[in-house]
Amino acid sequence: MNTTFTRIAATTFTYGFVGLMAFLSIFPFVWMLLGATNSSIDIIKGKMMPGGALATNISAFFTQVNAPLIFWNSAKIAILATVLTLAVSSLAGYGFEMFRSRHRDRIYSALLLTMMIPFAALMIPLFIMMGKAGLINTHLAVVLPTIGSAFIVFYFRQTTKAFPSELRDAAKVDGLKEWQIFLFIYVPVMRSTYAAAFIIVFMTAWNNYLWPLIVLQSNEQKTITLVISSLASAYYPDYGVVMVGTILATLPTLAVFFFMQRQFVQGMLGSVK
Amino acid sequence: MALARRGGIGRYYNVNGWLFVAPALGLIALFMVYPILWSLWMSFQSGRGMMLKFAGFSNIVRLWNDPVFIKALTNTLTYFVVQVPIMILLALILASLLNNPKLVGRGFFRTAIFLPCVTSLVAYSVLFKGMFAHDGVVNATLEAIGIIGEPIPWLTHPFWAKVLVILAITWRWTGYNMIFYLAAMQNIDKSIYEVARIDGVPAWARFTHITIPLLKPVILFTTVISTIGTIQLFDEVYNLTEGKGGPSNATLTLSLYIYNLTFRFMPNFGYAATVSYVIVVLVALLACLQFFAARERDR
Amino acid sequence: MNVRNYLPRFAGIALAGASLMAVTAAEAKEITVWCWDPNFNVAIMKEAGARYTKTHPDVTFNIVDFAKADVEQKLQTGLSSGTADALPDIVLIEDYGAQKYLQSFPGAFAPLSGTVDYSGFAPYKVELMTLEGQVYGMPFDSGVTGLYYRKDYLEQAGFKPEDMQGITWDRFIEIGRQVEAKTGKKMMGIDPTDAGLVRIIMQSAGQWYFDEEGKPNITGNAALKASLETINKIMTANIYKPAAGWSDWVGTFTSGDVASVITGVWITGTVKAQPDQSGKWGVAPIPALSIDGATHASNLGGSSWYVLESSAEKAEAIDFLNEVYAKDVDFYQTILTDRGAVGSLLAARGGAAYGEADAFFGGEKVWQNFSDWLAKVPSVNYGVFTNEADTAVTAQLPALTQGTPVDEVLKAIDAEVSAQIQ
Repeated sequence: MNTTFTRIAATTFTYGFVGLMAFLSIFPFVWMLLGATNSSIDIIKGKMMPGGALATNISAFFTQVNAPLIFWNSAKIAILATVLTLAVSSLAGYGFEMFRSRHRDRIYSALLLTMMIPFAALMIPLFIMMGKAGLINTHLAVVLPTIGSAFIVFYFRQTTKAFPSELRDAAKVDGLKEWQIFLFIYVPVMRSTYAAAFIIVFMTAWNNYLWPLIVLQSNEQKTITLVISSLASAYYPDYGVVMVGTILATLPTLAVFFFMQRQFVQGMLGSVK
Repeated sequence: MALARRGGIGRYYNVNGWLFVAPALGLIALFMVYPILWSLWMSFQSGRGMMLKFAGFSNIVRLWNDPVFIKALTNTLTYFVVQVPIMILLALILASLLNNPKLVGRGFFRTAIFLPCVTSLVAYSVLFKGMFAHDGVVNATLEAIGIIGEPIPWLTHPFWAKVLVILAITWRWTGYNMIFYLAAMQNIDKSIYEVARIDGVPAWARFTHITIPLLKPVILFTTVISTIGTIQLFDEVYNLTEGKGGPSNATLTLSLYIYNLTFRFMPNFGYAATVSYVIVVLVALLACLQFFAARERDR
Repeated sequence: MNVRNYLPRFAGIALAGASLMAVTAAEAKEITVWCWDPNFNVAIMKEAGARYTKTHPDVTFNIVDFAKADVEQKLQTGLSSGTADALPDIVLIEDYGAQKYLQSFPGAFAPLSGTVDYSGFAPYKVELMTLEGQVYGMPFDSGVTGLYYRKDYLEQAGFKPEDMQGITWDRFIEIGRQVEAKTGKKMMGIDPTDAGLVRIIMQSAGQWYFDEEGKPNITGNAALKASLETINKIMTANIYKPAAGWSDWVGTFTSGDVASVITGVWITGTVKAQPDQSGKWGVAPIPALSIDGATHASNLGGSSWYVLESSAEKAEAIDFLNEVYAKDVDFYQTILTDRGAVGSLLAARGGAAYGEADAFFGGEKVWQNFSDWLAKVPSVNYGVFTNEADTAVTAQLPALTQGTPVDEVLKAIDAEVSAQIQ
């Protein structure tokens, strides 16, 4: 009797708590969707009902913003950054774990220390470097400094610990070179690790704000995050349009997440073994 | 013969080892280490804009006499002390509740709670500013339920503004940490819990005595990552307070102060670089402390 | 035979074509401009560019818009790095920041003194862009201030438009009390994280955070003291609605929750964006302090155009600004009508648009009024540390409302400013 009661109380608590947290997490998204259907004034007033301004807001967004170009810019930067980061970091993670040596272990520890450097401290020097290289206002300048990421190297090294060494030994016996082992065995076996890293890096690159803001100069090069920020900071911002922009800006990251969700959880699993 | 072979393997081993790590090391050296050393050199200079002069340790002396710096430092540490434990604990509790295979709809809950961290920063600050406005939906709801009689001045009162920033970061990052714990929990042998339950160990004790100790490496990892994130906190405060860190500097963080010193105030890159080194030192100290604390408890 | 005949002709055509291309390559100039508000200065610059291109078909314009803070940040990064190709040809700078840029980056901006006739502009605009005898910018929009009020609410409280003319701050607060008692509406919205109102009141009495030499002018600043006291009175009388940040503050009057707005003329477009409030608004001069030098005219914000010295199209950029912004009175009528922009070229107010009655304001000639007040705005030296001082003021505002004596608040502001401006 007592135990049933406790169990019911516990179950109620669990669903209540988890449900509340899920509600709080999703609520801003709902608010964003509602916002896109309302006029700017209604949004400022905090109206919580769907309105009739959706079509107006959408058409206003597409007249004010060269959406195809801006999304293409964002996608190009995010995909390029993600692919390169994954390639470089997984190589390094593999290298640090498979070829352990005293020197490399020391360098690895030093590498982890670079995670502590705040970006604000790098901005001015990085900008001067990009200027000297003639890369200002190019997408390459946005991507380059983000490729070498201590955090992703760390993540790949952690997951590599779970890579079955028998596979590597067998491949060696078959006469495969180290790069062949990496490319034809490690990469396919670790695909869920790549998926998890893909989500994390893509999200960061897609949402990146401060650095693209500094190096990109012209309307033709801007990303969606920069466009939303400039829409939202007008003397008299049209919040309906801003909401449409935020929804469109969130869709790709949501899509990537839903598309790769299963592998993502598996990939995270590898990192904490 | 044996020696030669070993030497050959050693060389093979070394050449490959360096080849694999070289691209990452090269990029990090070029885009992190080199600029941060450049910053170090700048931190010994002072002046307006590009008219920098060597200034010795005067920037460090200036730190002590700068009330705004002290304020930013205190705020940053407050965020760290309050927000990181709350978020880690919340993420742990959620993870262990969602780890229950009998829970109906746990896939939905997991996805829902993870969702906030995929939003763009600009988007979410626009949303939060609207929701927490004076007559915004949050105040209206709290008033309707009867929790508060008067609207809470979320963005205009020093205390509540801090609370709001903490709420915002927690909202965005709890799900992210939770995923790490959920993943780690998959590795815990379910039978340990079964045995404990049969022995009559209550749920809370199972959580503190089984889950937490077994997850310790992951908790340590997420704590260090969250510490780094919180000590470098910039984006959220910048976007929620229109770049000012107000009201009355109550939400100003070290990173935002660096930004102000570089871009909003009369530009003084030397002093800004000095403040950024405070962050580096702070994070290094805290990370060491956390590793040390984790090791101590092992004994 | 044939070939010989044709060859010279071909060569001639080819040569002509090549030289034609060379000429167009040398002549086609693109001027890049950075500014920040798509509905305001961006749109206005596009209009200005279109006008210039009509008479100079070889010059085209690339107007880039970023958020205002982003323009400042990009400018500062570009100037600091010394990378000329990272900068535009023309940039918009808010007036408060002008001296900061001119003094921190000497030689970065092109002086326009020789080209532009500055006597035609509002004197305070020219003053703030002058450094060591050289004038550097092209004065653009003015932030001349006004008191926008809801005629309907005030009428309910028993006040006529005449009652709003030439009042003091004490009278304003008294009216505010009556309005709240009779209509339940607050008199104004205040964003405590923004020191804009302090700046408006202080400049209306001809003072600033800094003196002529740029030294802090805080503890002995009667106008600053009086403006803090005024804000404290407004807060104690509780005739204001608190707002958090810009959009929230805008919401206080677009939603009809407050009876008045005191701010720069550039807000007119926002006020008029509510068609259902047409005819309900009036504009009066802002209230005055009761100290020496007090006036009913002040300024908030406003910005000006600057040409970068490093610009490859410097000569064209200067000529463009001079032709349109310093001479084209008709241009000012267009931007006033289309965008509600009050320029600082004094001759512009002779134009037709300025004399027109505005139905939204019940047929008042508001533009004429604003341009009259514009000529009366006291000149002050914004100095180079306005952002620092502003931060210090907002930091101390809560202490003031919690009952700390004004003199102590001033001392605290002074201490913080002094620590910041090394």
